Order: sequence, then structure tokens, then C-alpha cells
Amino acid sequence: VLTVAVAASVAVAFADSSIVVLALPDLYGAFNTSIVGVSWVITSYNVVVAVAAAAIAGLSRRLDVRRWAQVGLALFTAGSIGCAASWSLPALIVFRCVQGLGAAFLLATSVSLLGGLVGSRERGIALWTNVAVRGAALGPVLGGVLTQLFDWRAIFIVQAPVAGVALLATTGAATIPREERARRRQGALAADVALGFVFAALVGALFLAVLLVITVWGLEPIAGALVVSALPAATIAARPLGRGLRLVEAVAGGVLLLAAGLASLALLPRVSNLLVAVSLAFCGLGIGLAVPVLTRVALHQDAGLVRSGAITVSARHAGLVLALALVAPLLTSSLDHAGQRALLGGTKEILDANVPLRKKVPIALALRDALQSAKKGEVPDLRKPFDDAGAGSNEDVRHARDSLITTLESALARGFRSAFALSALFALLALVPALTLRKRPA
Amino acid sequence: VRRLAVLLGLAVCFLVVELALGAIHFGEPKLADPCTSKPAFSGGGLDGEVQRFALSGLNGAACKLHTTREELVLSFVPAAGTKRVRWDRQTIEDALRSGFDQALHDTEQRGVAGFVIGHILEAVVGAPLDYFLG
Repeated sequence: VLTVAVAASVAVAFADSSIVVLALPDLYGAFNTSIVGVSWVITSYNVVVAVAAAAIAGLSRRLDVRRWAQVGLALFTAGSIGCAASWSLPALIVFRCVQGLGAAFLLATSVSLLGGLVGSRERGIALWTNVAVRGAALGPVLGGVLTQLFDWRAIFIVQAPVAGVALLATTGAATIPREERARRRQGALAADVALGFVFAALVGALFLAVLLVITVWGLEPIAGALVVSALPAATIAARPLGRGLRLVEAVAGGVLLLAAGLASLALLPRVSNLLVAVSLAFCGLGIGLAVPVLTRVALHQDAGLVRSGAITVSARHAGLVLALALVAPLLTSSLDHAGQRALLGGTKEILDANVPLRKKVPIALALRDALQSAKKGEVPDLRKPFDDAGAGSNEDVRHARDSLITTLESALARGFRSAFALSALFALLALVPALTLRKRPA
Repeated sequence: VRRLAVLLGLAVCFLVVELALGAIHFGEPKLADPCTSKPAFSGGGLDGEVQRFALSGLNGAACKLHTTREELVLSFVPAAGTKRVRWDRQTIEDALRSGFDQALHDTEQRGVAGFVIGHILEAVVGAPLDYFLG
């Protein structure tokens, strides 16, 4: 029970990097903020984890693992409750920072803690690696389901008891001896740099793909979560594929599959959830091949596990932060252009629509009103004016509606192209440090 | 290693299929050249004639202003948030009048019926246009 509780809290802490992605439109509307403002709900957490974990790495030999894991869990629980009760965007960001600080302590110490709980450092590393990969990959899916079934606050309400139970459970855990000074394994730094780039690339798969299918293509969070679940499913399916591969083969193959999946998201030829799911499946296979192998190099059992754990956690979240810092402005700028193209394309569809003037003029005026009166963060319902004009029974009106929606969705999807391409580039950059790793069985 | 090679091969094939399905031009609005294109509207009756006449007039005005008819239409809708109107009022007015004169000329080329229809359309479309241009 203790092991499961700690492992679950580690998975939740990793999932937290991306779990609020599907709730961003709700947060955007709830707090009446800007895109940059709401993006800090994700960025703040990852920045604090990256910085705090780097600081913990320097203090690793002075830390009492069990005590600091408890401090981490307590902070994470308090931060989660604070997030759920947030009354404003600044309050939510502050509590996300508290969560991030708790997550940094929890994630850095949990490798060693799990090793002590399962009785073997090797098995502890394997368990930590598994829950880390699955937690990160499942984040958006969990967030989507909770947001649609309840509310964005449910995301944080659910996390608090998971961390709270782990906190109570660790009070009965045996004390873990403090770490001796130990040199990190050769290649650990290269593995951490590669992991940083892989997690930077994950911004494309975990964040951008979710925004595309939910915000632009209008899928409900659960339906969007179903499409995105291709990624964690493929991540789990990739595990047997890695057996028998040399380290460099597994990492290079995984990184190339991840880059190919992101490139195929950049090159979508139509509005299709199936194509997105297939692309994400390639990303998931790549993650499932590369991340566990790189993690095992970064966290070798002979090295100091708290220090290694802290460094690898810091590297992953630094990669996420770097990518968010570069991708967010690129996406904002691309979507501005895409919005202009969408308006031009939409205007063409309305002008050329084979619909009589007595229907066309009211439709055009209602579309204008829908665009003007849309609340912040809310995609206006552009189907309604057509439905009110008889799209259900009139094929011409229905065709005009479908043409307009497809034109707008296609133009906006094209706006994601450069951000997906940048994410694919991050994946390819992971090849550079990965290729310096010695050839050994994965 | 063979399974990994097959997966990588599948990923490359998937990218090729996407390119073959038109990925390069996906999401680009296909805006016609207003100087050479005819209205795509295919409806019949008086409604069809009115819409073709109005679209033809817009094409002529957009051609004169070296823009597209879509940009021209959106330039009159501040809420659209598109580029600011790049032309002064007199230039737009001249372009629209010239566009509709050209549309009238094109309609008149269709014989006696076209001549009659053209002048009716000029009255139908001209009144709201005069109102619109003030």
C-alpha cells in the first residue's frame, strides 16, 4: 500500500506538468485573462520544479530522504488544495508554485524512497521510471476527463488525497540512510540533456495536439482525451519493443519516431482526429522506447539516487520550460496569421455559398454578431446561424455551414504547423547527446 | 532491430501519405484573382442574378484596388480585426462604382434581356450602394 501510494503521488506530480492543458479554455474564461496569463498556470509549476530540483541536487547528501519526501508531499497536498480553492489567477499561480516546490522535493527523493520500499535500488529505479513515463503521458487525458465531468477545480481536488494518503503512508516507512558521495555514471549528463530535449518535444504532443483537437476542432474534453490517449497507449505498448535493442538503437529509434510523429502533426492534410491519433501513437512509441532507457542511464543504482533523481527531474522540466518559452510566442504569432487566413477563407465561403439572399444576409449578420459577442476563451457557435436558417432540411445551407467550419478549422490548424515543427526539431536535437552514449544493451 | 526499422518505415510512409493528401496547401484559403475570375455563385432566378451582379461588382472594385474581394468586404467590418482600410473613402467609392459599372457592362453584353436585367439590377443594387456610400 505504501509503495502504491508513493508511486501514485509520483505519477500525479509528473502528470501535473500537463494535466491542466485541457482546462486552459475554462481557466481563460473563468479568470478573464490573456493567453500569456493563463499559460503561467503551466509554466509556473514547471519553472519551480526545474529550479528547486536543481537546488536539491546540490544538497542531496544533507537530506533525510523520508523527511524531505514528507515535506514535498505536504507542500504538494497544500498546493493542490490551494489551487482547487483559488479565487483569482495570481492566487492559482502562487499555489501552482507551492505545488511545484512540493513536487520537486517529492520527485527528487522518491527514487531513493521507492528503492527502500521495494527493497532494491534497481527495482525502485524501474518503478520510478514506469510511473514517471505513464504519469507524464496520461496527464492531459486525466485532466480532460475531470474537466468535462466536473470542473477545472476537480483536477486539483483529486490530487490532494493522492498526495495526502502517500504522506500518511510514509510516516510508517523505514528511514533511508543518507547518501554517500558518489560519482554519477558516465553518460548520465548526456542522458539528462537528451531527456531535456525529449520533454521539450513533448510540449508538441502533450500541449499543442490537445489544444488543436479541443480548442480549434471543438472536441469535448472526454472525446479529446480519447484521441490523445493514443499517446499513453502507444507508450505502454512500446515497452516490449525495446527489449534486445542496444541503448543507442533504442534512444535513436525512439527519438526519430517522436520527431516523425510531431512532423506528421505539422503536416496534417485535413481536419481528422484519426490522423492526429496515429501521429500521437508514433510519438508515444518514441517516448516509450527512449525515455525509460535514458532514465536508467541517468539514474544508475550505484550513483547517488537523490542527486541523480533531482538532476534528471530538473533537466526534464527545464526542457518543458524552454519549449514553452519558445513555442508559446511562436504559436501566438502563427495563430494571428492563421486567424486572418481563416477570416478570408470564411468570407469567401459565405460570398460563394449557394444560398438565397433572404437566408444569406441573416446568416452573415448572425455570424458577425456571434463573433462579436463571444466571451473570452469561448469559441463562438458558428453552426447556430445556419441551423436557424434551416440547415437541417436545406442541403445548400448545410453545405455552406460545413464548408465554412472546415475552412476555419483547416486554416487555424495550419497555424499550429510551425510550433509542431519546432517540437520535432527538439526531438531531433536529443539525438546529439544520445549518440554520445556508449553502445550497450538497453 | 527489425521491428524498430519497420516502425520507422511506417512513420516515413505516413508522412509521404500526408504529403500526397495535400498537406502542403492544407488550410490555405483559395482566393480567386478578382481581375480574371467570374462569380462562383450558381443559383438561378432573380436572386441568382442579383448575387452574381453584386459579386461581379465586388470583383471589379477589388481588382481596381489591387486586393481580393474578401479583403475588401472585411475592410468594412471593424470587428473582423483585419488590416485597417488602406484606401480613403473616395478611392473605395470610385472603385465600387467602377466595379458595378463593369458588372453592368458585362450583363448588357448578354443581349436585349441582359440590357434590361442589367438596368434593373443597377437600380436594385445601386440604391443600397448609394445609401451605404452616403
